[in-house]
Amino acid sequence: MSRLSKKSPSVCTDMPLDNTDICSKLHLLKQILTSCFGPTGRLKQVHNNIGGHVVTTSASSVLLSSVSSSQPFINLIKTSILNHVSRFSDCGLFAAVLCLSLIEQIKKSALRESVAIRVNNYLLALCTSYLQREDCGCRVKLDFCSTQNLITLARSVISSKPACVLTEPETLHISKLAVQAFLLTVPCSSPGIVSFGRIVTVPVEGHSVLSSEVLPGLLVEMPDGLSEEDKPLNPLSVVLFSASLAGDISELGDGVIEAHPDVDTDSQILGQLLELGRQVINDEVKLFMCQKVIHPVLQQYLRSHGVIVVERLGIALMEPLTQLTGAQPVATLHTTIPPKTYGKARDLCIKHFGSKTMLHLFPLGESAICTMILCHRNQTMLNELKSKSEVPETASVLMCSQTEYLLGVELFCCALESAARALEHDGGSSLIDLTHAHRWMLPADAIKETMEESLGFCGCGLVQSSPSKKWTYLNTKYSDFCPSPVFKDTRVQPRVLDSFTAKLSALQVAVETANLALDVKYIIQDMN
Amino acid sequence: MPPLGHLHMEHVLQAVGVLEAVILRSFGPEGGQVLFTRDTGQAMLSRSGTRILTALHLEHPLARMVVECVWKHSSATGDGSKTFILLLASLLRLIHAAASKESNVSHSYSSTKAAEASTARHLADKLLAFGLKELDELIATGVVPYGGCISWEDFTVEAQTPSLTNNLCVQKLLRSFFHTRCGYTHCDFSSHLTCELLSHWKFKNQLPSFSLQLVSDYFPALHTPVSGFPVRSSRLIEGQVIHRDFATPPLKTDHQPVKAVVLTGSMQPTLLSTGDVILHFSSWMESSLQGIIAKLQTLGVCVLLSAVKQSAAVLALATQAEMCLVECVSEDELSLFSQLTTGSLALSVISKTGINAVLYVHVAFQDSEERITIKPYSLTEETAYRSIAIQPIQKCVLKPGCVLSAGGLFELLLHYALLQHGHSSSVSPDLNIDASVSQLLANALLSVPQKIYSHSPHHFLDLHCCREGDKLSKVSELDLGLESVSCKYQLLLAVLQCVASLLKVDAVLPTHTALHTQSRRLTRTSWEGTEDEGED
Repeated sequence: MSRLSKKSPSVCTDMPLDNTDICSKLHLLKQILTSCFGPTGRLKQVHNNIGGHVVTTSASSVLLSSVSSSQPFINLIKTSILNHVSRFSDCGLFAAVLCLSLIEQIKKSALRESVAIRVNNYLLALCTSYLQREDCGCRVKLDFCSTQNLITLARSVISSKPACVLTEPETLHISKLAVQAFLLTVPCSSPGIVSFGRIVTVPVEGHSVLSSEVLPGLLVEMPDGLSEEDKPLNPLSVVLFSASLAGDISELGDGVIEAHPDVDTDSQILGQLLELGRQVINDEVKLFMCQKVIHPVLQQYLRSHGVIVVERLGIALMEPLTQLTGAQPVATLHTTIPPKTYGKARDLCIKHFGSKTMLHLFPLGESAICTMILCHRNQTMLNELKSKSEVPETASVLMCSQTEYLLGVELFCCALESAARALEHDGGSSLIDLTHAHRWMLPADAIKETMEESLGFCGCGLVQSSPSKKWTYLNTKYSDFCPSPVFKDTRVQPRVLDSFTAKLSALQVAVETANLALDVKYIIQDMN
Repeated sequence: MPPLGHLHMEHVLQAVGVLEAVILRSFGPEGGQVLFTRDTGQAMLSRSGTRILTALHLEHPLARMVVECVWKHSSATGDGSKTFILLLASLLRLIHAAASKESNVSHSYSSTKAAEASTARHLADKLLAFGLKELDELIATGVVPYGGCISWEDFTVEAQTPSLTNNLCVQKLLRSFFHTRCGYTHCDFSSHLTCELLSHWKFKNQLPSFSLQLVSDYFPALHTPVSGFPVRSSRLIEGQVIHRDFATPPLKTDHQPVKAVVLTGSMQPTLLSTGDVILHFSSWMESSLQGIIAKLQTLGVCVLLSAVKQSAAVLALATQAEMCLVECVSEDELSLFSQLTTGSLALSVISKTGINAVLYVHVAFQDSEERITIKPYSLTEETAYRSIAIQPIQKCVLKPGCVLSAGGLFELLLHYALLQHGHSSSVSPDLNIDASVSQLLANALLSVPQKIYSHSPHHFLDLHCCREGDKLSKVSELDLGLESVSCKYQLLLAVLQCVASLLKVDAVLPTHTALHTQSRRLTRTSWEGTEDEGED
């Protein structure tokens, strides 16, 4: 009877946005995220009270998912932003900072929530229609004939994450690799609907970032007892098993098994496996791979006949391997293997990366599969780099449907301005010029007279400072003006590029989340 | 609370008042959402009165009784649960005021409470009798002339000629429904999408109720929630989306149509019969699998939809036979699939559809009837309301009924009709009681439009004016959508019934089985705790 406990009453919060506790938590979250934003953003270390892994990051995906709150209101906003990040893997901090500033500004303005929601919707519709217009000054048409813009895009993403601790040449190297890998996954000669190939990332710890590279084909774990000498003739015939070859009988299901003392089931099964091995050798297979475990006796038997055996591939490598070799996975052990399930590989060789030794498989013909070796000096930085190097891939895939990019954050409107201001952390101030409405950065130690010189280029690198220009501080009042388009000088390339689709969606998600948060009038927490 | 658990008007008022406080936050054009969370991490965001009330853990027996009444009403009409609570609270307050005034005059101080209760009871019974007898006639003369009429026929005709005004009527009806369920922001968008969905679901030789029932039954299978996108990216896709990816490489042949087979169990035989040698069994099993696959191949089947996970051997054999297999398809989706493909054999085209990072199987049907799958994209859990949207349309559209502009017009019109009725009946002295009853009901009704326009009094005045002159024209400027008059009538009756039954209760007897003896005191304190919190 002691288990019968009374249900505890729910905790109710009326008008959460009038609650000082929630407001201060929102403000704190905004401060945390704002300080992480942009290429000069500050890092955060997250560690929990029961010990465990310490995470150093400034990426919204890692930060938001590792910070948990007891307040459901905060979690609502968090989930919404994380959902966006899971789709676009970019612009998460922008969305979060914009959303939180919107909520804060509306709170300050004392506008009724329902009115504020309508105003937000109206302004959002204005912004999206402006951004989608052909003559919108924020967009850059992407030229696929040159890789310059692609590299710029990749670099904007990678350089925005200081936790990777990369020097300028290292950033450029990784950006180039990301673009190279992406281009390798685009199939050359397939008519109809283009389906992209795969990039398999192999992290290597303890090496210089500059030794990272992109290889066509796949890398698999090095099998035991293979030396450089025994290289078979190419091309090699490949067989790929998806069922376990360990001789277990777990897959037979439920039922009664009667064991006769005079029948040795184990040796019978082993005999069957060896029969399989004999067929493979007769069919002149040179590479024998299995997703699961292979019985040691079978392995030994195959090796003694000059077959390279790779086991425990794991499910993740199965699909790239079937695409690379054209082999079909086999799961039947008692029938002859159909000849069409065999695949082919052009060649293989042994590669050393630091402590790792791996087997490199080359495709026979054209293949959209490639491997990216990412090296870094320590594990934390490597993890951050790994998570970030996948971003340009996603971004590139997304933008193929819409070949336009958004220039850096240079929109106006109060909350948007504060998002733009959040890019500066070194105590400097943000300026906006009154001709093109681009954003400029003023270092903290600059004096008024030398302003023109200390500014140099604007944030995106399209506009150069000149004495005729007028500036004003962001977040101050200035008279309305219509930003004039920048004179198109083909020699000047923008320095920062964002993915247009991701940015636009982030803008919409931020406003919608803010509206949703403003619409919540009552919170009931069930404590049972 | 007195030890015997005697109930007085105050207790009833208090219990209903707590419910009213929660409901008010989500009522009317200024109302917002209520966020529920569980310790398990589940969260629910809702503006729907029924969902809010049923999600509350209520301890007070009276409050539970009220919620039960609301639940019964809303399951019958699909609407009006928030107005229910507001009307109930305002009626109870007015009855309480009237009863305390009367009892003070006519009774000695000591029995005031008892006298009050009996007057209130009496009043409630008269209200109910009045409602059952006179209300439908009053509505017919005082309210219906201001409304319009829609029926299912209008709605189906509209699909061919979308410019007809009747389509707008249905859309408005839905609009006001979505407005009260998921807020102002997306109500236009959602109602448009739902309208489009319903207009595409048509079956030859079937009653409209059949297709509506089908949509509401299979809504989970028809709905693909996609998180991380703005709500505006929601759209309809023709055909059925099966929420799984292919387990084998997708179909390569261009031969259409494609034959598909639905499997409900594992293809691999699993039972060992006694006396089998394991080796023989597994080789027999493999050859039998090969036999099945070969048989399917000769039948021309190249798509297998399976409700369960199949073994690696099945996967490998299917791949080799160039069949594609989808595993772990939910029961709902399979039953919808067979429902849609019966009659016209299993003729379909199957392709892989990429909704950005998530891959699903998309089935397109090759026959004259158009079937469409709704696929709302959404930020968080918001999409859940859409499932309940079907119900009120069923109720309102299937029976040709009168509709009226939403936003308190019904309550206001009935308020005036009741006042007029009161004046006319007060001329004859024997019906005097009747007049006071209709006066009371009229005042209670007025509280609803008052709450709706609490932030914008000039709209309230507009509403008053429009009654006089150009009827609906002014109200349509406010553009709040439409609501059904018959639903409102049922709502009023349900509230009156609830009031009568609430006031008939005079004591709560807390009984304890041996199990509960220990937790008894806890019960009471924790309940009082909730009350306090609710009132803050």
